[in-house]
Amino acid sequence: MSGASRIVAGLEAAGVTLAASVPDTWIGKLMAAVRTSKTIRAVDAAREEEAVAIACGATLAGGRGAVLIQNAGLFNCGGVLAGLVSLYRIPCFFIVSYRGDRRDPIYYHQPKGRVTEPTLSAWGLPFAIADHTTDLQAQVVHGVDSAVASSGPVVLLISGEDIE
Amino acid sequence: MLEALVAMLTPSDVLVSSLGANSRYLPHLNVNAPVFALCDSMGAAIPLALGMALQRPDRHVVALEGDGSLLMCPNVLATVAAARPSNLTALLWVNGHYESSGGQALPSAPVDWPELAKGFGIANVARVGDVPALRVAFPRARAAKAPALLVLDVAFDPSEPIPPYSERPDEIRARFRIA
Repeated sequence: MSGASRIVAGLEAAGVTLAASVPDTWIGKLMAAVRTSKTIRAVDAAREEEAVAIACGATLAGGRGAVLIQNAGLFNCGGVLAGLVSLYRIPCFFIVSYRGDRRDPIYYHQPKGRVTEPTLSAWGLPFAIADHTTDLQAQVVHGVDSAVASSGPVVLLISGEDIE
Repeated sequence: MLEALVAMLTPSDVLVSSLGANSRYLPHLNVNAPVFALCDSMGAAIPLALGMALQRPDRHVVALEGDGSLLMCPNVLATVAAARPSNLTALLWVNGHYESSGGQALPSAPVDWPELAKGFGIANVARVGDVPALRVAFPRARAAKAPALLVLDVAFDPSEPIPPYSERPDEIRARFRIA
């Protein structure tokens, strides 16, 4: 089973009903797997702040939303994270492609990689870095459950090798 | 016009309000539908309503948005058009000002909101000028079985006595339930 399929299995097991996304190369591959799910509605958003609000709307309406975006897109989301997710205490699980970390071969992503973890920390966003050598499905389930338990955002950072 | 809209809502509707005058007036009105009122996060009302609409296709979700907010993220109209919810109506108040932040003028571009929405792929668009027109346009939009945008041109009155926010986000969140 591919890493993408294991991640989707985790989303399904955690009760995610809607996945809102703006793709990059890695997230696009993951969303292709999401679209095969019979229980998760894939929603293509034009910009990342929308994806966050769409996921929150699904959650407020009784479902469970998740957001699948790149780290550059997460940087766009400071306002909606503060003014919607945190202010209204809405569980919101993010899968974020960690472009520019040591596993990313593309040089021009490096500036984003350098500021990703400091930004998450500065914004007070709980996060974990996925590890495809262990139980990836369980990491996803734990992330969703943590978002629900905390009534707030939780971020799982993934790399390209996690979805292969 | 907000009172006229509220009077047409039923318990099978859901109302999502952008920050500003909408959210400040609503606690003073008798709304016969679940209300989620934003007090921050400009531009979030329509995508929030979209998520609700997709999750609950059995309910009609109405989003109240302002031209200042939508000007920040008109791209959401493309997202709505792509998702094709059969149960989402957005009402756009157009007054050319950031009313809730002191009445500053928007960038003075003559944005043609109906044509912009149509260009993004939303076919059900109507410009509404007064209460009688709203009473015709809203039921039509709700019955359209496709996403709709009603563009309401309203006058900006800097002396309008808009009440302050009277509900806290945790109260709004706790009360919001879609049966």
